[in-house]
Amino acid sequence: MKWVKRIAIVLAVLLIVPIATLLVLGQRKGAGLAQTSVEINAAPDQVWAWLDDNGKLKQWISWMVDAKDADPAKPHGIGSKRIWTMKDENNGGMLMEIAGTYSEYAPPSRLTLQIADKEGMFHGESSYRLVDLGGGRTRVEVKLRAHYTEWFANLMEPVITPAAEKKLAMDVGHLKRLVEAKAELR
Amino acid sequence: MKPPAWAQLVLWAVAGENQAEFVAGDLHEEFLLLCAERGPSAGSRWYARQVLRSAATLVGLRFRSGEAAHLAAAALIAVAMPLVLLDRLWSFVYSHIPLKDGLERAPGFWAANVVCVCACAAICGSLAHTQARAAGVAAAAAVGAACALWCSAATEPWLYAGLVILAAPASSMAVFAWRGSR
Repeated sequence: MKWVKRIAIVLAVLLIVPIATLLVLGQRKGAGLAQTSVEINAAPDQVWAWLDDNGKLKQWISWMVDAKDADPAKPHGIGSKRIWTMKDENNGGMLMEIAGTYSEYAPPSRLTLQIADKEGMFHGESSYRLVDLGGGRTRVEVKLRAHYTEWFANLMEPVITPAAEKKLAMDVGHLKRLVEAKAELR
Repeated sequence: MKPPAWAQLVLWAVAGENQAEFVAGDLHEEFLLLCAERGPSAGSRWYARQVLRSAATLVGLRFRSGEAAHLAAAALIAVAMPLVLLDRLWSFVYSHIPLKDGLERAPGFWAANVVCVCACAAICGSLAHTQARAAGVAAAAAVGAACALWCSAATEPWLYAGLVILAAPASSMAVFAWRGSR
């Protein structure tokens, strides 16, 4: 009986401590916000092309298999929509569509999209800010704020957000390499 | 004169309570004779060879007696299932990343898996009442961990995989030994 109690305590600790930690961390100020920045040796308009062009987006955002405008006739601008298709190997290779609606569009410095996945798992905002540092250099600041609709995903937010931030930094690093390689060729 | 400890442990793990004592007794007699005739190293080599050659047959006998089936079920429930569930949990977490991420997990996730496997295997070890059963539980825990790793969706580093496969039986045996010493 003593050992059954001990085992029950170990199992309870294994469950209760992580859940309590996640609940506390979920209340922090920057919950759901992933952000990163990088300095690129290229002019803002050169960098902007990589954010604005659907074909180029696929080259630096890993696991993105398609990017298109919801209405090809309508040019990019506030209110227009963009559809991203991501391949999710963590979900058996399922394709997942994320719809983004422009809420800010000021080339070549600001771009903000209100994003939401079609399954209704999350919605949020993805924003890019290009700061001209002069001398053909640009600082790219990326922010991604997400709200999770499922209670379990919401509970796991303190684990999801750092992983999302790591992925964001990796993608932006990839963008820097691509832009600088193209800029050198010119 | 003692046979190699690892071979004895393997024998206890594969033979089970019903067979281990008889088989170990017979092997030990032969081992002592060989040591006297050809020396301890030749005796040890012979002992290890005999254990490895008879392992499959002994496991088969153990399954037929029903004992191994219980151990396999215990290992699956106690070690493989938590690992598989954790893998599914991390996949769920990663599939919620807005712009998606790869199959590589953060070190913290691997550490959580190792802690969980050790705790579950230790619980199994604490429930074993005999050395043979403890060795069987430890072996089953290692097999359960290996199966769970094989089923995993993630790309596991070799270091992590090796650690899990070793940590599961080690923690099971450690708790059994600790409990026995008290």
